[in-house]
Amino acid sequence: MEKSLKVLLVEDNLIEIMKMKRTISLLKSKHTIHEAKNGEEALQFLEDKSNLPDIILLDLNMPKISGIEFLKILKADDDLKHIPTIILTTSSNQKDLLECYRTGMSGYVLKPLKYEDYVKKIETVLTYWSINELIKI
Amino acid sequence: MREEIEVLQRALERERFARKSAEKILEEKSRNLFTISRELKLTNLHLQQLLDEKSSVLEGIFENINDAYLVIDLQGNILKMNDIAENLFGYNLNEEQLNFTDLIYESDKEYTKNSFITLKEKGSLSNYTIRIVTKSNKIKWIQINASLLFDRNKKPKEAQGIVRDITAIKELELQKEKILHQLEKSNEELKEYAHIVSHDLKSPLRSINALISWIKHDNLDKFDENSLKNFELIEDTLSTMDNLISDILEYSSADADSSNQTKVDLNHLVLELKKVLYIPNHIAINIKNKLPNLVGDKIKFQQLFQNLISNSVKFIDKEKGIIDIDVQDKNTYYQFSVADNGIGIEEKYHKKIFKIFQTLNKNKESTGIGLSIVKKIVNLYQGDIWLESYPQKGTKFIFTLKK
Repeated sequence: MEKSLKVLLVEDNLIEIMKMKRTISLLKSKHTIHEAKNGEEALQFLEDKSNLPDIILLDLNMPKISGIEFLKILKADDDLKHIPTIILTTSSNQKDLLECYRTGMSGYVLKPLKYEDYVKKIETVLTYWSINELIKI
Repeated sequence: MREEIEVLQRALERERFARKSAEKILEEKSRNLFTISRELKLTNLHLQQLLDEKSSVLEGIFENINDAYLVIDLQGNILKMNDIAENLFGYNLNEEQLNFTDLIYESDKEYTKNSFITLKEKGSLSNYTIRIVTKSNKIKWIQINASLLFDRNKKPKEAQGIVRDITAIKELELQKEKILHQLEKSNEELKEYAHIVSHDLKSPLRSINALISWIKHDNLDKFDENSLKNFELIEDTLSTMDNLISDILEYSSADADSSNQTKVDLNHLVLELKKVLYIPNHIAINIKNKLPNLVGDKIKFQQLFQNLISNSVKFIDKEKGIIDIDVQDKNTYYQFSVADNGIGIEEKYHKKIFKIFQTLNKNKESTGIGLSIVKKIVNLYQGDIWLESYPQKGTKFIFTLKK
């Protein structure tokens, strides 16, 4: 039985947010998306411990707090570090990849050029995490 | 009476004989003595000459070596030094006394103490490098090779040392280190910069693609065939742009010195590439001779063979495509070749194809960067690349890689 996931999308690009929302509705999935336009906004959202997301989808290139910095803050926080965090990015920088793995990410997904390919990838990611046993606090 | 005389005469005779032989022995001994003394004199003379010679050689070394030479006692007092040492330190022993330890730069004193202990224990010291402060307050880097001098009872008496002024070398070394460090940093920055640029250029392409796709799907029934065709062209253009950005990123990092130097099995690498790359069914890739192991960056070797094989695949127009990969051992380097039976390249273009953005066949897969990357990597491994090609018949790329 697939569960519906509560997803926090940390993404500063308006069109990327539209892409995700459209994908969710296209897939007719029951997952809910909460968006945060930057790291600060995401941290604010995460302050409410009664409403923590099941997974976080994180863009790496963001102003102010970068994705990697956000991931480090997350993984240093005892209340938050259990939340699986999947990186969504256009850059296949080996250095970033290594650092994210070391910091403790749960996935690193490259955004493909074609929207149809993007839909397929997001569908796979969401399906994978919805069949996983997730921690509920 | 007569008998007595005879007895006496015989005794006299014996005595005369005895004296004669004694004289003979004496003469012989004295002759021996004379020879020995003459030999002794000769030896003495020879030794004297040898001593003079050695002294003068030593004197010559002392005065003429290009390095500073000095003798110190076990407390560090300088007993003797040559002109070069005087010039180096700026002191003159005829005018003042000098202890070697007083010359040493403050923060090197501790290290010197240990080195002096080593010298006493082992009897010699080599390439020991410190800074000294000269009389005119200049800091100089010096390198010392020293050994102990012993007295008759084999007790250490003094130490002698040859001191080389390596200030200039040391400064160059430090400069080189600084430049290398800067180069490394700017290389790193360049790589980082290339990634950021690539990301920032690729993101808008993804947005455009998504928007185009939505417009198309949301209005499928409203567009005529011509408009739909144009949408396809936009998507192709975006795809070309995306490939171009990826290739430029690859090109810009192709010559970055990599620290990932490992032994790479090229035969295995090419076999793996055959599995990963898109090779149409009508094209066969043959490895003619087993490819060797080479030390280098695996990713770069991969890029090298991948670009050449893809290039061949792209330009094969025959019903049965053949790509032959071969190698020859040329002692100090290997000579590889990748040959296909594709469309071939006219000779006037042979040089041009290695230049960046030069592509002879405009199509959406070709950005004109692949062979530039190949050339860059071959040059990185101190090799050369050239080709033999005939239009319609095929192309053979030949390249060398240093062992």
